[in-house]
Amino acid sequence: MTRRKFAALLMASSTSMPALLMSRTVPAAEPIPVTLYKNPSCTCCEGYAQYLGQNGFKVDVKPTNDLAEISRKAGIPEELEGCHTSFIGDYVVDGHVPVKTIRKLLDEKPAIAGITLPGMPSGSPGMFGEKTGPLTIYAVSRDGTPPRVFDVD
Amino acid sequence: MVGNDALHTRVLAYDGLVPGPVLRLRQGTMLRAVVENGLAEGTTVHWHGIRLPNAMDGVPGLTQPTIRPGGRFDYAFSPPDAGTFWYHSHDDSLVQMGRGLAGPLIVEELEPPAVDRDLLWTIQDWRLEPDAQIAPGFSNRMEAAMDGRVGNTVTINGRLPDNLRVRAGERVRLRLLNAAIARIMALRFVGHSPIVVALDGQPCDPHEPPDGRILLGPAMRADVMLDMQGEPGRSYPVVDDFYDRLSYTLVRLSYDAAPLLRPHPSDAPLRLPPNPVPRPDLATAVVHDIRMQGGMMSGTGGGGMMGGGMMSMTGGSAWAINGQSMTGDGSADMPPLLRIDRGRSCILDFRNETAWWHPMHLHGHSFSVLSRDGAPVPHDEWGDTVLVRPREHVRVAFVADNPGDWMLHCHVMEHQVGGLMTTIRVS
Repeated sequence: MTRRKFAALLMASSTSMPALLMSRTVPAAEPIPVTLYKNPSCTCCEGYAQYLGQNGFKVDVKPTNDLAEISRKAGIPEELEGCHTSFIGDYVVDGHVPVKTIRKLLDEKPAIAGITLPGMPSGSPGMFGEKTGPLTIYAVSRDGTPPRVFDVD
Repeated sequence: MVGNDALHTRVLAYDGLVPGPVLRLRQGTMLRAVVENGLAEGTTVHWHGIRLPNAMDGVPGLTQPTIRPGGRFDYAFSPPDAGTFWYHSHDDSLVQMGRGLAGPLIVEELEPPAVDRDLLWTIQDWRLEPDAQIAPGFSNRMEAAMDGRVGNTVTINGRLPDNLRVRAGERVRLRLLNAAIARIMALRFVGHSPIVVALDGQPCDPHEPPDGRILLGPAMRADVMLDMQGEPGRSYPVVDDFYDRLSYTLVRLSYDAAPLLRPHPSDAPLRLPPNPVPRPDLATAVVHDIRMQGGMMSGTGGGGMMGGGMMSMTGGSAWAINGQSMTGDGSADMPPLLRIDRGRSCILDFRNETAWWHPMHLHGHSFSVLSRDGAPVPHDEWGDTVLVRPREHVRVAFVADNPGDWMLHCHVMEHQVGGLMTTIRVS
């Protein structure tokens, strides 16, 4: 087994963040690229990808068994993890975050790592079931400062 | 482990080996194992699939006290059955097994089948960082409520596999052991027709697996007969395509240029000699439901991982059996789920109410798999671990002839420690 082959194996389950930064010169109508990492056996994540696709995003769905690693390395605390991890521009967007909140993030461009909707709340975008209460979306930092509420939907 | 001398993975090991040393003995002879604990925490050794006396089963707090650091425990038993078995830690087992504490135990038939080679693949799955160290983060809550800690690096016999040299015309008995803590595998031998002759060590009707895929959940074993009918000089992939869009080549069968070992495939019989496992009497069997519950996406409304809290269902546990969660390494004070009179035949109806796969393992006994979703299984099939699909109902039966308190649990380790575990009492 060569070093090259081992490196290739890790690449196949790469945990590196897509470094794609949206160009500001792209017209607003252009779909916004999203890379969505999901557990290969989780179906609600596909529902969320469809939801994004219907709302002006172009979603590249990547099943992976390294979801926890990807989420951790993106800065999401374990207790705030959503069930899939997306990268949009420089930001991580974890879980079933509503499009409205993503647009707020992209418009305001705060200096944070990204946002997360913990767990998989019933009735959230792409999830089955009825919404039972407001969805609280948290901002997670790049510098280790505690998460704060970013938006409530 | 990853084949690069500069990269050493720090593991937990039996006798300095990962997987642990291959233990081989003849059917009916005594196995003696002295376990000295050089770890910084307690450990025990469970002899998975062996029908042995309860005191030798290696479950801390249930069949023995844990072996403290610096302590020792002497295991001794005579395996009644020939076949492919294994041993592993049963204390802090998610982490201890996940860091390497597992090894194969082969009980040889008194009259083994005629094969050219008898090979063993102990398959382990690791989540490695780029420096080849085991990634932190065992018991991640989200993963624990999904399909557990599936890794990114699969090894065979402790090495990242590359090629298996084979000779055209030879017959190989290949013993497959899935010693992973969470990874389910579906193995396809491209260009070949493996015949399954034993599952979990117990001989079955020789048969080709459905769709040519050998489905192996964690802890499961399959003995297959492989007639090497490929072309000399060519190589053929062995593919694992269990996970959606994550198919990969596990290893390649690489044929020598040498001519055929024999002009026609071996015509030696495939069926293995039977083991002395008692057949359950279905007419008089007591019937029990084993309902597996919890996890993500378990259902709409009523329970499951929805609402704001992820662990809403069972008071902090992700999983349950019949509404009860025995967590961690088990607790002796929890009453057994079932009490069965010794010698009585017992039917277990595994009802998977979750959205996830569960390899359900019963200690101390081997069971006959009867049906899946009401349809009889097509081949006589026995095991100690049965893989239950999401929402599936699997019926198994066994004779409760081994007295003691026995574990019954899912062998996805995060499911086990998260509550998919219980005990049965045979007395």
